[in-house]
Amino acid sequence: MNGNGAGVTTPAHGDTTGHSAEMREIEAIVAGIEGQVAEWAAATSAWLDGCGKPTGTAVDKFIRPSVQTLLQGPGAKVAGAGFIATLGLLGPDRSYIAWWQGDDMERVDALANFSPQSLSRYTRAEWFRIPVETGRPHVTGPYIDLLCTDEYVLTFTHPVFRGGQIAGIVGVDVTAQTLERLGLPPLRRIGPRAALVNVSAAGSADSAVANDGGRAVICATADIDAGDRVVPASGAESWPAGRQFRIYSSVEAALG
Amino acid sequence: MSLSPLGASRSLAAVFTPIKSGGLVDEVCRRIELAVETGLLVSGQRLPNEIELASALGVSAVTTREALSQLRGQGLIRTVRGRSGGSFIAEDALPSPARARERLQDLTRLQITDLGLHYQAIAGTCAAVAAKRAGDDDVQAMREYIRPAGADPAPAEPGGGGTATPLEWRLSASEFLLELAAAARSARLARELLRIQVDMGTLTLLPFNDPSFCEQTAELNAAIADAVSRHDAAAAEARTKELINLTTTWLLAELSAGQPHETKATP
Repeated sequence: MNGNGAGVTTPAHGDTTGHSAEMREIEAIVAGIEGQVAEWAAATSAWLDGCGKPTGTAVDKFIRPSVQTLLQGPGAKVAGAGFIATLGLLGPDRSYIAWWQGDDMERVDALANFSPQSLSRYTRAEWFRIPVETGRPHVTGPYIDLLCTDEYVLTFTHPVFRGGQIAGIVGVDVTAQTLERLGLPPLRRIGPRAALVNVSAAGSADSAVANDGGRAVICATADIDAGDRVVPASGAESWPAGRQFRIYSSVEAALG
Repeated sequence: MSLSPLGASRSLAAVFTPIKSGGLVDEVCRRIELAVETGLLVSGQRLPNEIELASALGVSAVTTREALSQLRGQGLIRTVRGRSGGSFIAEDALPSPARARERLQDLTRLQITDLGLHYQAIAGTCAAVAAKRAGDDDVQAMREYIRPAGADPAPAEPGGGGTATPLEWRLSASEFLLELAAAARSARLARELLRIQVDMGTLTLLPFNDPSFCEQTAELNAAIADAVSRHDAAAAEARTKELINLTTTWLLAELSAGQPHETKATP
């Protein structure tokens, strides 16, 4: 899952509490997913560079096997995955969605590819808009994904390019439940109010972000749910986990 | 797992209720009808060809062909032969108020009241939870759907409503509630809300033909967004229940009248 060594470049941990094993365990979960998506994005960009004018059928044929591996591979953490083209890649003013979800590879909203009105719902979403605008990977959530899984998820998206130009995104949905299952045990060993927090300020008008806070992804204490706005408790220690998450040794609910 | 001392509970009976296999053809038809009803597919739009549609929906070409023929029979699509041919959504396709009225007249008062209560319970709880969990960005997303784009809050012409059509009002109203559910961050509540909206179907289009209903909706939406932004769970829930009640009351009055009306005096 995490064999590409993604995340090894993160700075040394300020390990004054003796929890470096737990921090690395949590970091490896996040960086593992991010690394997987980055690798897939690079492969997709390389394919787009060499495939001639892409068609829907060709996109499906290239993307579907990767999705199948992500959804059904050993130790799969992913609830859904796919590719969405920027407008114009496949035809004038035309986007394209090739996204599958679940163990039985259910195709998401295939009718959308024939309806311009419907596609704008995807292109306006944070997980599409931000990587396309910034050219950088992004993690959205946790949020209720009413477009695909109807689950409470985090979406990890990465831009893909064709001839150096932005061509779309690839991404995966990971349910908040999956992350809780994997990350809660090590978090609880760090401290009773330790939390993994999405501190991304991109696309957010959230006042908690200004105070180094964000949305809790997993929290050791039951009085804070995934998605609640939190800030680090005073004197809390903090470690990076992946590109835009932080582990705090203690958090409290953000006010206002 | 231990057995219940009371034997089979009533909820156990639900497990062994016969499973209806609606049939793949019906399911394909239902999807396309739903897409038309919600405005995702519009009149005159070309549908993908049989093979594309079959692969997109993961069914066989035979199933698709049958579904298209069924839809043609209903008048929802028309098929043109020849080189520039294909299947198109019919010009007079849904959503039509006439069809919605027909559906309303098929319902009983009990059905409408019961659906309304269910809707209130789900949407009201979403609002209360959203008031606790929502951030500024959630409130901002809700505010975008207080009224449809193009319907200005203070329209120059009397009667209000701006230039938005009933369909746009309905879409915006449904998106507002979905944003509320998203802000509550409960997957179960959000799924239930979606399901109720599908159950209501075209019915919710009817009241948006009434400009005063539109304005009341927009006012309540604004009040809900305000309550959520000041984390007032009680007010958010109360205003949301009022909002749902507005629809139920309107539909009950319309049903009683039995005849189409331009404006309604609520009982």
